[in-house]
Amino acid sequence: SFQSEVEETLKRIQSHKGVIGTIVVNAEGIPIRTTLDNSTTVQYAGLLHQLTMKARSTVRDIDPQNDLTFLRVRSKKHEIMVAPDKEYLLIVIQNPSE
Amino acid sequence: MIKKIMFRPLATTTCVPVAREADAPGGSGSAAGCFIFTMFTDETLETVGAESLWRKSRLLQQESKTCQTTELKTAEVEVQAGDTSENATQTEADEHRTQHFALERESPIHYPGLGEFLHSVEGVVVKELKRNVKSHAFEGFEVNWEDQSETVSCLHALQYSEAQESGLQVTSLSWNTTGSVVACAYGRLDDGDWSTEKSFVCTWNLDRRGLNPKRPDLVIDVPTSVMCLSFHPSKPSLIAGGLYSGEVLVWDTSRTQDPLCARTAMSDETHREPVYQVHWVPGARRGGGFSVLSAGADGRILVWQLDSEGQLTLSKGFALVTQQVPRNIKLSKARGDSLLGVTSLSLCPWDSDMFLVGVEGGLVLKCSFSTRTPAAVSSPSSGLALRAPAQFSFSSHAGPIHAIHCSPFHRNLFLCAGMDGHAHLCSLLQATPLLSLRLSDSYLFSVRWSPTRPLVFAAATGQGSVMIFDLGRGSLRPAATIEQDAGGKPVYCLEFNPKQPRLLAAGNADGTVKIWQLSAELIEQGQREAAQLEQLANEATE
Repeated sequence: SFQSEVEETLKRIQSHKGVIGTIVVNAEGIPIRTTLDNSTTVQYAGLLHQLTMKARSTVRDIDPQNDLTFLRVRSKKHEIMVAPDKEYLLIVIQNPSE
Repeated sequence: MIKKIMFRPLATTTCVPVAREADAPGGSGSAAGCFIFTMFTDETLETVGAESLWRKSRLLQQESKTCQTTELKTAEVEVQAGDTSENATQTEADEHRTQHFALERESPIHYPGLGEFLHSVEGVVVKELKRNVKSHAFEGFEVNWEDQSETVSCLHALQYSEAQESGLQVTSLSWNTTGSVVACAYGRLDDGDWSTEKSFVCTWNLDRRGLNPKRPDLVIDVPTSVMCLSFHPSKPSLIAGGLYSGEVLVWDTSRTQDPLCARTAMSDETHREPVYQVHWVPGARRGGGFSVLSAGADGRILVWQLDSEGQLTLSKGFALVTQQVPRNIKLSKARGDSLLGVTSLSLCPWDSDMFLVGVEGGLVLKCSFSTRTPAAVSSPSSGLALRAPAQFSFSSHAGPIHAIHCSPFHRNLFLCAGMDGHAHLCSLLQATPLLSLRLSDSYLFSVRWSPTRPLVFAAATGQGSVMIFDLGRGSLRPAATIEQDAGGKPVYCLEFNPKQPRLLAAGNADGTVKIWQLSAELIEQGQREAAQLEQLANEATE
């Protein structure tokens, strides 16, 4: 079914080495799918949605013909990857050194 | 019931009972006699009577009345269900149910385009995920966000002149929950005698402007030496302290008049010997307040509740009796029914039912709050029955254990340090220590895990230095040694600041509290520390 295809894709992503969590966020910054607990999800969704919008406007301000395709935030403990789109955002948190 | 009262007035008085009318037939009489005291002559006069105004003879007024209900109509009717029907239900097979459940968990709204979106990004994301795992791009790449102080420096040396003049030592330190106030207790640790020397509890607010290290913000006078101190975990102004005399006091530093807000009454049930440890434990009620736990040299561990009248009332009590200690470790020749004095205690942040106790004989015991075994001591008359909490004992040090601390990063690990100069890293799962580190030639008075680095701990030695040890380093030498006092006077207590992990407070025998600012490498967590700690802990099972 349609829904199960979505689930399959998310499961595949989640099962990669080192992936801590996967979140799908809609255009308003509201999480619609997640593999993490509620409070963590809400935190990540809100903050990364804002960060992604800021990153996108930065790229477009520098060059209006350009646009953001991917955002990666590397920290001491893990890497957060954001794949943006007109309607959704996919956030994946990975611990690369595991 | 008296219908008429007869009086016999007399010119002079004699002691006479006055006659009364007989009661109405069937009435219940209440005896009432009057006596009038008299002098000594008799006289008789005519009797005087008074009619009762309100009570008439029953015989005059009698009416009879009858009543009767209207006739009751009764009828008999029968009803019976004439037909039956059968109905059956059955749940669907499991697979179907879980499928439905998964759907329920998702929002029932169908998100248009979600599938296409995921389909399109999946490739990119998966490629990046795979590359990340293999990449060496960031290995060894460190970023410095803050001023890297390479050295440890002393920020403040706090002293209270009166205490120093009396030669008092700093026995205990505590930071409050906001991390801005440090309180220290003065007393004597090396005094064997019963002392009635008064001492002090002083607090300094380090975030305040105009901090004067020689003048505490608040000085509380206490009648005897204070042996231990602990700030409340959520209320920044409450401190509990245990005294040499066995009393437990709670002060509220926000009160201007008299900071003392609760104390234990001296009774059979309270400690009769110095209280060496005081802690706040969460109360039994959910979201309820905290209770004060005190443990002393008399082998008793008591839990007190603050009531509104400024009294600490006993709510639970435990006693450590030698013969009730679990027998996996042989104890020395102590008598079976003697009580083991408690010298150190640690609550476990992972399991609220468990606590660890270090006793005089060098034993570390794992204890439980919910134990039901009664202690083999004679109960005090006012009877709070004491219970025996010990469930397991760990192998002993050669002398009294001065400090135990459960790791904030791993649920099974704890450190203990004692008079033999060794610090043991132990696991709750086995009786012998995982690692035994000889840190000092003399005594170790305190040991504390770092709140930010899972592998780092600090120890206070009897030679006047604070050693900071990093288990990840592999070598047995400390990562840093801080000379607290050149005179070699022992450092008795140390505490990390819970909110500002850079600060470490240490108090020593000459009455000074020094606030040290640690270097960045001692504070910032490395990438794999938690995993290394886990590895160390797992060595226990091998």
